[in-house]
Amino acid sequence: MDQTSTFEKITRGILIVLVLLFFLFPIFWILLMSFQNNDQILRIPPSIAFEPTLQNYTALLTGKLETAAGDLDIAFMRNLGNSLLLSTCAVLLSLALGVPAAYAFARFKFRLGENIAFTLLSFRFAPPLLVLLPLSLYFKQLGLTDTYVGLIWVYQLICLPLILWIVRGYFEDISPDIENAYRIAGHSWWRAFSRIAIPLARPGIAAAALLAFIFAWNNFIFALILASASKQPVTVGALAFVTASGIQYGQIAAAIVLSVTPTLLLALYAQRYLVEGLSLGAVKG
Amino acid sequence: MALSDSVRSNMTLAAKSSPQTSAAARRWSMRRALPYLLSLPALLVCIGILIPFFTAAYYSLMRFRLNLPMMKGFIWFDNYISFLSDAAFWNTMSISLTYAFVTVTVELAFGLGIALLLVRPTRLNNAVSIMLLLPLMTAPALAALMWKLMTNPNFGILSYFVSLLGFDDFRWASDPRTALLTVVLVDVWVYTPFIMILLLAGLRSLPKQPFEAAALDGVPRSFVFFRITLPMLMPYIITATLFRLLDSIQQFDIVYSMTQGGPGDRLMVFQVQAYLEFFQYTNVGRSAALMIVLWAITYALSNLFIKHWLKLRERAHGPA
Amino acid sequence: MSSLELRNISKGFKSGKVLDDVSLSVDAGEIVVVFGPSGTGKTVLLRIIAGVQDPDAGAVVIDGADVTDSAPDQRGIGMAFQNFALFPHFSTFDNIASPLEARGTPAGKLKEQVGAVARMLKIDHVLGHAPRELSNGQKQRTALARALVAQPKVLLLDDPLRNVDAKLRYEMRLELPRLLRTFDAAVIYVTQDYKEAMALGDHIAVLRNGRIEQWAAPATVYRAPASVEVARLFGDPTINLLPCRLEAWGDGCGVTLFGRKLPVAASYLRAVGHDVIAGLRPEHVVVRETEMSSAIAFDLDAVMPVNVRSVLYLRGPAGVELLATVAESDAGKFGRGHRKVWIDFAPEDLLLFDAATGARLAPRTEARTN
Repeated sequence: MDQTSTFEKITRGILIVLVLLFFLFPIFWILLMSFQNNDQILRIPPSIAFEPTLQNYTALLTGKLETAAGDLDIAFMRNLGNSLLLSTCAVLLSLALGVPAAYAFARFKFRLGENIAFTLLSFRFAPPLLVLLPLSLYFKQLGLTDTYVGLIWVYQLICLPLILWIVRGYFEDISPDIENAYRIAGHSWWRAFSRIAIPLARPGIAAAALLAFIFAWNNFIFALILASASKQPVTVGALAFVTASGIQYGQIAAAIVLSVTPTLLLALYAQRYLVEGLSLGAVKG
Repeated sequence: MALSDSVRSNMTLAAKSSPQTSAAARRWSMRRALPYLLSLPALLVCIGILIPFFTAAYYSLMRFRLNLPMMKGFIWFDNYISFLSDAAFWNTMSISLTYAFVTVTVELAFGLGIALLLVRPTRLNNAVSIMLLLPLMTAPALAALMWKLMTNPNFGILSYFVSLLGFDDFRWASDPRTALLTVVLVDVWVYTPFIMILLLAGLRSLPKQPFEAAALDGVPRSFVFFRITLPMLMPYIITATLFRLLDSIQQFDIVYSMTQGGPGDRLMVFQVQAYLEFFQYTNVGRSAALMIVLWAITYALSNLFIKHWLKLRERAHGPA
Repeated sequence: MSSLELRNISKGFKSGKVLDDVSLSVDAGEIVVVFGPSGTGKTVLLRIIAGVQDPDAGAVVIDGADVTDSAPDQRGIGMAFQNFALFPHFSTFDNIASPLEARGTPAGKLKEQVGAVARMLKIDHVLGHAPRELSNGQKQRTALARALVAQPKVLLLDDPLRNVDAKLRYEMRLELPRLLRTFDAAVIYVTQDYKEAMALGDHIAVLRNGRIEQWAAPATVYRAPASVEVARLFGDPTINLLPCRLEAWGDGCGVTLFGRKLPVAASYLRAVGHDVIAGLRPEHVVVRETEMSSAIAFDLDAVMPVNVRSVLYLRGPAGVELLATVAESDAGKFGRGHRKVWIDFAPEDLLLFDAATGARLAPRTEARTN
């Protein structure tokens, strides 16, 4: 039953366009800026038509910037590498720790499991600094400040609850009789876990891993507190970039573009999993 | 129960046989231990979180400055009590609460509106909703940077637009009058899609019958919206609101990236304040106390939320 | 030595005790049907035997070895689930092959054995399909094939015909015993359908309230049910139950039914004075069109054709209701009902149950049930 009038259709269309404009314009504009040199950027009024240049990107990629004041070394590519390393390792670790735990919580009802799940869930909403500030003192004592290992461990705070949250639901959806049948057929619990439970829960694990990666990549405060310049991911690195003197705005824009592109591409590629993961299983479908 | 004699005699014979072997007993205890073994790593992470947490609580009861280690000592709740008379604390409280409520309200209204626009599952609407997810996927710190560039008074495109409207010297985040507006804007840009996606899923999962019945009865659309749609959507709205409130009141990335709390202390939200207390003033005691206060607020809210969310999950998955 | 033995199995949940001191034994090649209405713990019993659930007390013994604490993969059992529980991401072939794969059977032999079982169950043409492409009947036979392929000593079948259409269910009821006999396993078959129980079982264990109410051959369960409930569960249409009193008359005893005094066997003497429930199976009620001195007058309310019989709904003196069955060929005599008929029955056909306990009063002349 569709009684939308033409007027309504047009209004709806206009509104959607406006909404799209609002949400996509910044990304578009920064992208544009990344292909401009300083003169083009500073030109008033700004115009869309201009001669694009790749100098910003080459500067970032080669790590060398020629300015009037001399050559500057930019370690931005290092930041990109850090982001990649930290996010990937954090997600892999949280999968290794979280998927078996999610299975335990789904299949066995035990007091400790409920407590762990509740604690991790409740700390998802706790202020990070509450844990990070004392942690930074501990890290200093343990010599873990400014190490990849320390950071990857701390990133578990972000990734692990997510994995547990999402994957547990998927395990619960698999009928336990299928695993029972597999065990009765003569296979050990480990094979039942790895050959039956995990393959059947694969969409959930993928959704969780994807979200965990994006959240880890986008993280700012953890790295700000616990990492020094050489280990910083792009989120912190880009900020440092901006406050350093003599950096050209085009490069800042290019740095931002390089920093957000991975997560945006991931999001587009796996949007099916994203929506489910974002609503964290609270909403079916 | 009637059993043949032969069966009965078999049973009495067998009942006298020896108890289980130690190998079987070992297997039994392995089965019992399995769930604990599997969740051991998660337990470690849990402990890894709880230890700093209790440490923070401990420090909050102390006078503790990193640059004055000799002065370290217990002062019990003095840190908290001093907050009550501290203008800076109340400033933080009011800014944080204002920020939280404004952002959540705007995002809720905005997100609901967009969800209603896109409710029909056409290919176009689905494509649009995917595109709208992109701001949510950008790191808030980077989003703030993007907006910082766009609001730069010299070359920012938004400054330009605004100057066309007659505001020649709009300073955005540098101006105490418009700083809050600016960060709220960034927050809205990043997080509205979250509410939208949640409410859209909720809207699409609503049963069709009430709406079809209302259409048949010729019920006016506003009535349908306020008396049918909204009440049925309430669980999702509550979920989305609590989620965002909890995150918004602890916002750090956007504010820090934008102005580090400035201009002055115009944007001094909780976590930024705590961060500065710790790293600039090295006042561990005070920053810990500040975080405990924030934690207490979020704990109360999140408890509400978790219970509600668990109920929703139970409905979807069956009793946990 | 029996292949499978259950000793004093008990299991309780928050809702109550589901199995209370259950014991039974099954020999190789024997089919024991565990029968009972839904929710009586039959599935729990199977799970305990299979090892996926632990009993609160008791032992499971397979071939003389106590396996109560063994994991499911150590017990050498084959099980077919009610909802099939096929592995959705494996092909039918891999589903069936799974037990052989677990035992490390070499590929050639594996293929051979899977093929043999599949042929026996007539699913060899769908071996390459995924479970979601199979019909319910094919899924059920795949589940069966998977349970059988490794020639287990113990076979557990959890109501396998429940989710299968009527025609196939009837076919399988004939095929299954033949199939199961070729495997010589100890079989426990769980069902809620009494006809299935009687068709398949060498022995029937009637499970009620967590206990085995009767353990006997099918014919015995039907002819000499241990209690009112068992009598009620076995029989279609349900047995007629008539409360009355066992009284002493002269040398013997009898009951008064429908205003008539009916003598019963002297061996019931010891229960004289008790309230009893007299059970009369519908097929034992002889319905006559014409009046006879020995017959009792009843109103015939309705005639309902059911398969090859018709059920007659009778109403008698004092409003007592009675069901009788007649052969289809005779049904025509009674038209649509609404007429008077005269019923007769042999007092020996009466089953007497203690009104208080529900247990059947077995006349002493009857042999011990087994």
